[in-house]
This record gives sequence, C-alpha cells and structure tokens, in this order.
Amino acid sequence: MKAPAFDYTRPRTLAEVFALLREHGDDARLLAGGQTLLATLNMRLSEPRLLIDITGLPGLADIAVREGRLHVGALATHSAIEASALVAEHAPLLAMAAPHIAHRAIRNSGTWGGSIAYGDPAAEWPCCLVALDGRVHVQGPGGARQIAAVDFFQDLYTTALQPDEVVTGACVPVAARGNWFGFDELSRRHGDYAVAGLAVAAHFDGGVATRVNLGFLGVGATPVRARRAEALLAGKVLDAAAIEIAATALKAELDPVGDLTSGADTKRHLATVLLRRLLGAAQASRSALAA
Amino acid sequence: MAEQHTIQLTVNGSACSRSVQPRRHLVDFLRQDLGLTGSHLGCEHGVCGACTVELDGHIVRGCLTLAVQAQGRSVRTIEGLSADGDVADLQQAFIRHNALQCGFCTPGMVMAAKELLEKRPQATRAEVREWMSGNYCRCTGYHAIVDAICETLASRSAQAAQAAA
Amino acid sequence: MELNGDVLVAAPRPQVWAALNDPEVLRLCIPGCEAMALAGEHEMTATVAVKLGPVRARFNGRVRLHDVRPGEGCTLQFEGQGGAAGMARGESRVQLADEPGGTRVSYQTQASVAGKLGQVGGRMIDAAARQMADQFFAAFQASLAPPQAAAEAAPAAGVDAPAAAEARIASDAPSPPATQGAAAATAPAAITARRALPPTPTAPAAPAGEASRVLWFVLGALSTGFGVWLGRALFS
Repeated sequence: MKAPAFDYTRPRTLAEVFALLREHGDDARLLAGGQTLLATLNMRLSEPRLLIDITGLPGLADIAVREGRLHVGALATHSAIEASALVAEHAPLLAMAAPHIAHRAIRNSGTWGGSIAYGDPAAEWPCCLVALDGRVHVQGPGGARQIAAVDFFQDLYTTALQPDEVVTGACVPVAARGNWFGFDELSRRHGDYAVAGLAVAAHFDGGVATRVNLGFLGVGATPVRARRAEALLAGKVLDAAAIEIAATALKAELDPVGDLTSGADTKRHLATVLLRRLLGAAQASRSALAA
Repeated sequence: MAEQHTIQLTVNGSACSRSVQPRRHLVDFLRQDLGLTGSHLGCEHGVCGACTVELDGHIVRGCLTLAVQAQGRSVRTIEGLSADGDVADLQQAFIRHNALQCGFCTPGMVMAAKELLEKRPQATRAEVREWMSGNYCRCTGYHAIVDAICETLASRSAQAAQAAA
Repeated sequence: MELNGDVLVAAPRPQVWAALNDPEVLRLCIPGCEAMALAGEHEMTATVAVKLGPVRARFNGRVRLHDVRPGEGCTLQFEGQGGAAGMARGESRVQLADEPGGTRVSYQTQASVAGKLGQVGGRMIDAAARQMADQFFAAFQASLAPPQAAAEAAPAAGVDAPAAAEARIASDAPSPPATQGAAAATAPAAITARRALPPTPTAPAAPAGEASRVLWFVLGALSTGFGVWLGRALFS
C-alpha cells in the first residue's frame, strides 16, 4: 500500500536531530536506510508525522580501526560492510554474516545502525555484536555513551537506546591470531528472517579451543549467548564428544518461543544442528592447519 | 502537514526537477510523475523485487525509497539501462532462453542481474540463484532466467579472457 | 496461535479478584491501553496503542464475557479491528486458584488472524504476546504489593524496579527501561508501584456485575488481542 502522509526533513547536525526529537517525541521517526521503517509505513502499521532523515549527518558511515577495535559507523550500509577490506581483515564474522541479510537491493540501502537500533531477534548484526562482545555507541542531548552489546539488547524490540538518543555506531575487538569465526543461519527461503542462526567467535591455542563464544539469533526475544554450552567447550578439543556434550547443554539452556512456522522444539533442534555444523567446521579447519 | 518538496535529480542521464509529497515512493514517482512505467509494483514492502531500480549506481527497492531521498542523486531505470546498452547481451540471452513470459518481473530481474554481472563476475549457478532470490517470477519457474544470466556471465568471462590474451 | 500461561500473584485470591475488577488498575496495567468502556451488560470496548519495534498502531477491540464465576474464572471471546491491517478474534479462559504464596492466575488463549495480519505476522506473535503478558502481570503484581514491603524487597531482588514500574505504568514511553524484561520474568513480587495507581485494595468487596467483567475483558484483551494484534506488525 502507499505510505500515509508525513513531513520530511534532513538535518545536517546531531543537535538539530535532538531538537526535532525533543519537539516531536514519538511522532517523529528517524530514517536512515528505511528498509524496515518504510515497509512499516507502506503497510500502515505506523503513521508518524515526521521523518527525520539522518543520512546527511557527516562522519557516521566510516569504517575504521582504532585502539584495537573495529569501529563501524551507524550509516554504513550492509553492502559497504560486506565489501569492506577492513571488515574482511579485522572482523571477518561480519563479512560472513552480511550476505545473509535480506537481498542485495535491501543491503544497498539498509544500515548497521538501523539493524542495531531495532534489535530484531532474528537480525544478523545484533547477533554478531553479542557473539563478539561488541559495544554500541549512542549519543543523546546529554552526551555520548557506550553500552556493551549483551546489555544493549534487553527484550523483544527493546534496547537500551532511550527515545531521545541516536545510535552512532558500534565497535568490535579486532580479530587476533588463533581466532576462528563462523556464521550460519537456517531459513525457509534465502533472505527470509532466519528460523535460527549462529555466530561463533572462538580462540584456539594449538588444537584446544580456549574460548568459544556462541551467539544465537531467532531463538529468543533477543540474540542469545549460550553461556552454559560455552563453558563446557572452553579449554577443550572440539571433537565429536565435546560437541555432543555442548549440544545437550544447549538444548536445556535455550528457551525459544515458537512461531507459526517453527515450534520451540524445532528451534531448539535447529540450534544444535548449527552448533554441530559450525563447531565441526572449526575443528576441521584446525586439523587442516595442524596437518 | 505533507508540504511538497522540490527535488532535483538525474534520471536516465537527464536532469529533472519536480515537486513531490514526502510520502511518494521513488517507483511511483518514476512511473506516474515521469511516465517511466518499466519499473513495476508488486508487494510494496520490498520482497518481490519488481520495483528494483538503480540509485547512484546500485540497485535499490523503489518501493522502499522515497522520491525525496533521491534528491541530488542519479537514478537509472530499465529504460535507461536499455538505452545505454549496458546489458544488451543479457537481454538477448533472456529472449533466447525464453526467460520472460508476461514480462512483469523482467525489468527487476534485469536490474538485479546487472549488478551481479558487475560485482560477482565469477558467480556460480548456486550464487546466481541466491543473488536473484530477491526477485519473484510467477511464470517461468526461474530456470530460464538463471540460464540466461549464467550464459551471460560465461560469455563475458570468455570475452575478458580473450581481451587479456 | 496459542498462548497459555500462569502467574503466581503474591496476594490472596479475593484481593486479586478485587484488583482485577478495578478498571483503573487494568487500564494502567495493560501496556498502551488508552480507553476502556462498557458497551453492554457483558461487553466492553477498549482502545490500545501498541508500540513495538517500528510498529505504532491503535487497536479497537470488543470483548464478550461468558461463564463468569466470580472469584474463580471466566471465558472471554475477543475480536479486534486493526483497520487496514486486518482483524483478529479469539477466546481466552482464565482461572484463579488459591496457592501457597498467593493466587495462581492461569489463562489459556487461542486466536486467529485475518487480512494483512495473517499474511505478515506469525514470526513474532507468540514472543510479543509473551512479552505483553509479562508486562501486564508485572504491573498488576506491583499494584498489589504494599508499597513499603515492595520497596524493601526491590533491592533484594537486585532489580532496578521502581523506575521500571513507574515508567511502565505511568507513562507511554515506548522503550521499557533496562530491567523490565528481567523484572517481569523473575521478580514480579518485588516491584514497587508508585504514583498513578489506586491504593491497594484491602477488604475485597467483590464488586459484581460490570466491574468484574472489566477484569476478564482485560485479561482476554491482553492475552488474545495483543499478541495477535502485534503479530501483524512483524514481518515474516
């Protein structure tokens, strides 16, 4: 359908954005890539009075390495992240996840900051941030602050972002020697929101996995770190036995809510499928290195 | 509310200036304000791909882009792409392979394939299918479309190899 | 969709019944509820503004009550109109039972959707309904806790509860503060409610008739309508 009528403005500074948010409150919506917002308006599921286009704000699309962390600005598009040499080198997990986001035309417009601000439990970027122990950068009239990703995504579509704040970017630690990353998701069709997905960020010392971060998407109200399974994998060789122990713990740990197409048990099962797949791949790559 | 905005943009190489409501989608602007009806509307929420157009050199959903967001930018539709001849080989391959029946999805298919040819010249058949999965077709069953794209990739690769030799 | 659940409310059954009979309590406990009105002897209408993710939508619903057993339970039949997005209908059975620690409130809901709701929704219906139910019962429990005891309990629960309850109940803030989800799930009994809520009901005078139907209407509205309404918002 056609979107309802609204006013449109494209401020050049954050100060202007804050002033507009103060004036209009929830009647104004921030517009970056618009791939979620405009679809929502087209379906008449929201009728804001004003769209505040923030794509004119300078410096918010940069991708850079600073002090051991890769910083990605909020306005970086999914395609830009997918194509970035810095991302490929310093945060390869993001490059692996990017092609799973919707389809190319949407990736060319949709943004890192938009995906993070909505915090859809099946979205790729919130899951990757949580797996990588990333930090979300936000700014409000009172100043800037950083929030650990695990604290930022709190409940269904509920983040630590206050109504008068703007996500300006997010950062992750740069990849180090011995790191291994993997990403996979399962959906009915490519580009659909995933039924379940997994981002693995691991560190190996020789054949032993000293740390295995497991970030799941689609199995909770937010992206989920499977802490118990992680604890069982830390310090182990990722052989079949270790993976099975972790898979059993994972089934007990996850508490997914089912939906029309996939029940809770299905999601639980698919989470273990992804776990086996990715940890198996991790082990195979370590063996290949050793060989 | 909903005052008109004047936008100035380049469409298919020509400068144009129009007054639009902010709510106007780019694809509706192209179709109704400029008479460029080659881009189509299917789902109006970004999943079917029929509205795919090029904005500043990369494909976007015309139904998830506002005309006002195209201010100062360059848009190319299937009409412009055709006129420029960028994908004449792809279009011929579509005809040879019978990759269109009603033709409704075809402009979007060609737009999406154009970017694949540019950005993924080494794409495998599986990668072509994945890339094109953002465009729906109700007539052909897709294989002929994938065949046409794969044939074009192959012939372009061969040409590039020949040119290098 | 099906939404089944139960909550242990830390208050005696007659007090729970009385509070659930209080339209003001219910209006404040249902997230986004803007209006509630009687439409007939066994009928209520309500308007609820929903904010979840990108969705901002106003719903008009109607509930008819059947099989009212004062103090014990009821069945609600619910129908909601979401304008262009479609409609939803459903049925909810609610029971109250005495239990050590308070009153067990149980509900079983079945609902179906039509229109765009049916097309687009599904992925999030259950999760959204669960969240809304959690929010409702957290606010409801807060309305029953004696303010002093709750204030003492809140730090022990380790939850930044007072601000959470206050914001949730008294304002239309779209983003519930940090610990609300955790609070709802783990320590509803410890939440302090401040301002805007009526004083804790003491002697339950078991108001009969219309007021009791408001309670059941709201529970039905919550568990039936919200999840379904929200379902349409969320894209597959």
